[in-house]
Amino acid sequence: MMKKTLSKAELIGLAVAGVLVFLVLPLLNALPESHPLHLTTFTLSLLGKYLCYAVLALSVDLLWGYTGLLSLGQCLFFSLGGYALGMYLMLKIGTRGQYHTNLPDFMVFLEFPKRFPTTGGLPPHWIPFQHFWFAAAAIIWVPAVVAAIFGFLAFRSRIKGVYFSILTQALTYAACLMFFRNDFTFGGNNGLTDFKEILGFDLNAASTRRGLFMATAALLIITYLVCRWLTSSRFGKIQRAIRDSENRVLFSGYATANFKLFVFVVAAIIASIGGALFVPQVGIINPSEMATDKSLEAVVWVAVGGRGTLIGPILGAIGVNWLKSYATHTVPEYWLFILGALFIVMTLFFPKGIVGIPSQVRALKARWNRQSVSVAAPAALSPEEKP
Amino acid sequence: MILRRLNNLRPPTRSTTVAALVWLLCYIFAIPLSAANHRAVLVQAITTNDVAVQADLINSLANVPDPIIEQALTAWRQGSVYLYEPEDQPKVPFLLEAGTDATGKSRGIDLGTGEFIKDAAGQPLLFTAADLTAADTSSKLRRVIKTTLDLLALSNLNPNVRRDAASKLGQEQNADYLPHFRERLANEKFPEVRKALTEAIAITELLDEKADVRLGAVRALDQQRSIPGLDFLARLETEAKTKPQAFSLDLLNAIHQARIHIERHVSTSNFIETAFHGFSLSAVLLIAALGLAITFGLMGIINMAHGEMIMIGAYSAYLTQNLFIKMFGQGTRGFDFYFLAALPFSFLTAGLVGILLERGIIRHLYKRPLESLLATWGVSLVLQQTMRTIFGAANVQVYSPSWLTGNINAQDVVFAYNRLFVIAFAIAIVVFTWLLLTKTSLGLQVRALMQNRQMAACMGVRTDRVNMATFAFGSGLAGMAGACLSQIGNIGPSLGQSHIVDCFMVVVLGGVGNLQGTVSAALGIGVTDQVLQPHLGAVLGKITVLAAIILFLQWRPAGLFATRGRGLEG
Repeated sequence: MMKKTLSKAELIGLAVAGVLVFLVLPLLNALPESHPLHLTTFTLSLLGKYLCYAVLALSVDLLWGYTGLLSLGQCLFFSLGGYALGMYLMLKIGTRGQYHTNLPDFMVFLEFPKRFPTTGGLPPHWIPFQHFWFAAAAIIWVPAVVAAIFGFLAFRSRIKGVYFSILTQALTYAACLMFFRNDFTFGGNNGLTDFKEILGFDLNAASTRRGLFMATAALLIITYLVCRWLTSSRFGKIQRAIRDSENRVLFSGYATANFKLFVFVVAAIIASIGGALFVPQVGIINPSEMATDKSLEAVVWVAVGGRGTLIGPILGAIGVNWLKSYATHTVPEYWLFILGALFIVMTLFFPKGIVGIPSQVRALKARWNRQSVSVAAPAALSPEEKP
Repeated sequence: MILRRLNNLRPPTRSTTVAALVWLLCYIFAIPLSAANHRAVLVQAITTNDVAVQADLINSLANVPDPIIEQALTAWRQGSVYLYEPEDQPKVPFLLEAGTDATGKSRGIDLGTGEFIKDAAGQPLLFTAADLTAADTSSKLRRVIKTTLDLLALSNLNPNVRRDAASKLGQEQNADYLPHFRERLANEKFPEVRKALTEAIAITELLDEKADVRLGAVRALDQQRSIPGLDFLARLETEAKTKPQAFSLDLLNAIHQARIHIERHVSTSNFIETAFHGFSLSAVLLIAALGLAITFGLMGIINMAHGEMIMIGAYSAYLTQNLFIKMFGQGTRGFDFYFLAALPFSFLTAGLVGILLERGIIRHLYKRPLESLLATWGVSLVLQQTMRTIFGAANVQVYSPSWLTGNINAQDVVFAYNRLFVIAFAIAIVVFTWLLLTKTSLGLQVRALMQNRQMAACMGVRTDRVNMATFAFGSGLAGMAGACLSQIGNIGPSLGQSHIVDCFMVVVLGGVGNLQGTVSAALGIGVTDQVLQPHLGAVLGKITVLAAIILFLQWRPAGLFATRGRGLEG
């Protein structure tokens, strides 16, 4: 049903999006501040944040929309990526922290030199994160390993449906509790923050922010293309078959557990890379980012945009987050009402999301037409209604 | 006559100290005090300048059961006894009455007479605390006052205060207290206080010079299985190593025996305590998760708003409490009954919300369980925010009725009434639910639906109605759980969130649709958690339990007691 090559509309859409994010927005940001079309760096970073969330939404959609696995722990992987890069950024602060030592501030504050005297206070697993390449590799392999272990255990014992959702939620809940502890060596509830530079570039400089934004946009486009390729391949067919009737696929001789495990790991890596780009733009990563409700929010972006499509989650993530920024700023006390209502209304009335609204309207119209026809000629049954 | 003599007593100088002491000793042991006398002693103690005399006078007040003495000494220690110095007359120590008038002044209560201090015209004098000089105390004096207060506490009307005072004084191993202990023991009726007093005597006597008294004391501690005595026995044992000549073989044996017995007793009571805490946590989990297990078992959908049903129940209890405070006043007998009204009220409120939720939303999503999870999560957000709007984001205070506060202390384990109540309540609702499911026609229909929905519908079971009734019942149970939780924890808009993951774990571990699974899962999680907590801490313990559950599901993917069926989609 889905073509392997990109359609004309998709190509045009990609081109427009590419021009917008690579040329227009950075240029607007580079304009002098007095210019009426100037885009502030703050807004640009905010947009960058939305794009990171869009990547996260794509990973949720790959699991939920295409494979039928509703993971309520996707934010765990997002945060793991964030922490991996955050550790590198933390070590690059150097002596510019509050205590003017080589150690990150929270380690001085929590008296790590006493705990890890041989390394001068730096926990041993932090040491390799001084190198960017190690942090970059960790962004990939740490979530992949976590997802592989959890997924292996879950899929091997055929945990599915709501059970899978609940267990992923428990997983992220447990991790969240863990990261909140000070002696877990990741900064406790303050998390990692106060970053100064990345790869030698000043993080507060507008040019660095532009670069990060463009990197995020590139990541989103690449993720889109990868997902597009994956879902339109033979593999994607099996994915959708698992979603629709896992037992049939199983009895046709496919090891569904392996397919699910693969998708789960891929989705974890995608989310993790999104999280890694999120951290330098937002400037902080803390355990509340992996709290259970964040993952559910990510699911609602997908639901709003339209699951089982690739453009839907992107629209949903950007739209809902824009709404959130707007609502928490102007009517903070109503935001939870709005979010809750979104959950309810989308699932009840628009199960296919925004993207699905046109087809829903078409279906309604067709039904209405049919009804008026059948009122006029009750004997004539339309082909679908024949037994 | 004595009164006159007291009044004539001038503040003694150094040369008169000895005379005063001799007099005091005769005075204390020969003549029983009357109410007026010890007040005079109190006044004397406060107005005298010699610390030694003051200390003796204060000590002499130690077995006077008069509340004013206690009050005055406490106030003195804290520096809120003031001196009124009328011209050409002795100083008058006084306390300020509680509360002030419009100008911030209050009347003074003369400690000698217990009446308000009046001026010449007979009008009460008004004072401001800031302008007054407090009767001074030295640190030595404050220590003496403290000891006297503790001794006074030995004869307090509240047996718990007496018990605590006895244990505390015993720890000081001061032989001077022995007469006080013995005197008190002769009149004491409460077994707990008697135990504490005997213990205190024995611990004090461990330092006695006579070897047989010490041996008796060790044996007494042994018999009592005295946990506080353990430290002192251990201290004696180390002492025996440095100077063995002071310890006979009998004594050493007795000490050793006593330590073994007491240590065994400690480990038993620790075990009982852990088990009790485990059971009470299990009971909380069970109460909270039972409703979820029923709705989930019946409909196969997860109600993410279940935690909010608990929260609604808790707030209903809060409202009932406020109503009863308005009707009867707080702390009255009528108020104590509010909790009995709160339970059904919570059940009804949460049940009603449950019906609305089922009719309005869940009904349309029976075929899409994953999406019902999302919709109910939305409902939970809305409910949380609603409560935040109505009651504020801060926690609200629910007072326990008097019959739920306090505890029993048996075998050195503290059994709090509210925890005992939670356990009893959990048993009660499990029995009730079991009866409902197995002995009523509704229960029969519910079980039929669980086994095979379509077949039940074909046989004429009105599935729609059964769904609604079950959902209402499950939500009502959650509501009662909330009322129950209001007695042991905080109530805030996020109350439900803190329980929801635990509830899910109980349901997943227990398996769908059977009571014994839910009960065993709650017991397993609760007890494991409490056993692990002392070793790993609260958070790591919880994480370990979560990990253990995930691993356990490898072995039994459908939970502890899975319903066997031949259907492919379980």
